[in-house]
Amino acid sequence: MNLAELPNRRVEAWKYSDLRAAVGDAPYALRGGRDIIERLAPCLESIEMTPGDQRVLIERFDGSALDARASDIFVHDNAKLTRIVIQTGDGIPLSVARVGLDKGASFKQFVFATGGRLGRIETHVALEGDGAEVELNGVYMCGPGRHADLTSVIEHKVGGGITRQLIKGVAAKGGRGVFQGKIVVAPLAQKTDARQYHHGMLLEDGAEVFAKPELMIHADDVQCAHGNTAGGLDERALFYMRSRGLPEAEARALLIEAFLVEAIPEELDAAIRDELTGRIGAWLRERA
Amino acid sequence: MFDVRNLHVVVDGAEIIKGLTLHVPAGETHALMGPNGSGKSTLAYALSGREGYEITQGSATLDGEDLLALTPEERAAKGLFLSFQYPVEIPGLSAIAFLKAAVNAQRKARGLAPMPAPELLKLMRAKAEALKIEEDMLKRPLNVGFSGGEKKRFEALQMAVLEPRFAILDETDSGLDIDALRIVAENVNALRAPTRGMLVITHYQRLLDYIKPDRVHVLARGRIAASGGPELALELEREGYDKYLRAA
Repeated sequence: MNLAELPNRRVEAWKYSDLRAAVGDAPYALRGGRDIIERLAPCLESIEMTPGDQRVLIERFDGSALDARASDIFVHDNAKLTRIVIQTGDGIPLSVARVGLDKGASFKQFVFATGGRLGRIETHVALEGDGAEVELNGVYMCGPGRHADLTSVIEHKVGGGITRQLIKGVAAKGGRGVFQGKIVVAPLAQKTDARQYHHGMLLEDGAEVFAKPELMIHADDVQCAHGNTAGGLDERALFYMRSRGLPEAEARALLIEAFLVEAIPEELDAAIRDELTGRIGAWLRERA
Repeated sequence: MFDVRNLHVVVDGAEIIKGLTLHVPAGETHALMGPNGSGKSTLAYALSGREGYEITQGSATLDGEDLLALTPEERAAKGLFLSFQYPVEIPGLSAIAFLKAAVNAQRKARGLAPMPAPELLKLMRAKAEALKIEEDMLKRPLNVGFSGGEKKRFEALQMAVLEPRFAILDETDSGLDIDALRIVAENVNALRAPTRGMLVITHYQRLLDYIKPDRVHVLARGRIAASGGPELALELEREGYDKYLRAA
């Protein structure tokens, strides 16, 4: 075991998430692999979606130990994969998924993360066939001492691809949310349509939200938009609701829930949507 | 019913309302008119308890009860309602969910059980229909993407469902075309009752053609500069506010 092998804040990709400090004295083992999460993972899972196949994958992280997982996913022509990651618990959940998309393939991901001592859900998507579609949404809710990091890299290698990304999160005092989102549009990837939005809300003084959005566009006939905000609760909305009789705590909870729910895709299975809104509600009640 | 005495309001260190006195008896509708910057909206916000509107002197009571000691939600539960000049957009929260939460929060504060969902829905639908608000709009996020007129109609809907004891309507006519103005006014008039009072804040006489006030007050430079019957509004329309601004 050599702690120096784990990245700390001096490593650019981990500048907001000091893995070395979070792991501390906990034991870990490293294998071979392309990055530190893959090296920490006990195995590399491989998933291949045959042409036209449709599937929903649900992954849960709810432990209190170091839990690193790595997967390689390939979605062939016109197949559709929906991946849902639900991260709760107070350990060190780490995930890296590398997703390749062929012609007309669709990959939709939704991450719900309450963070851990340090939690990082990292997703790399490469659009390798024309007209592939990516949706990478997520919600993070970081209470005191919790750290959630949603990191993604989306590479449009060929033309006509679509990316939609909406990440929303809240951090309480002593909580830290991190969003790192890179979108690369290669010179050949004409007619790409990519949109990336991240909105973080700081609930109190002492809450932290870090964001590093990056768009690298090497093609000229593309539509790319991005937006990134970090701020507090809308005081005008809060007063509006209180003036209608809603007690302050209830108005706050409703506003925060409304803010977050926007990032949950409409087409998710009702049972999962109910679970997610239930988790958001429970988190808010716990803090009220 | 609604009594404001010698009210002074300071916003960002500047005194905007400078000793305002106003009495609206139960069953009456009064109009408050005044030029831009005279303090009309400041008065509305201060009476509703918005943060940052510091009351340095004076009193405001509803049915004898001190409003100024209450939080905005407590004032609402006592029956005070403010129709906003600029209703706030709340993405992610449907209009129907918002109204449901508001109705039941007020009922809870008054010691009543929540209204059963089907009953509440029926009530909302009926009131929405009277305001020519499509049911589809109730499911949309509150005020998001609503036109100015739709927002004002929605304020009127909230008022109709919440049935306040005293309502302050801040520039309800702005953003409304003539048909919408008539519909909103009809619905506001339908709420006039012997036990209810209203204060209608407006720049223009036009709204008062539809909501006929019992009394008209002129606000200039933070004070009531004149009060009179409905004819005062007509005089203002003819002669403007100049004379009051010079005198104030």
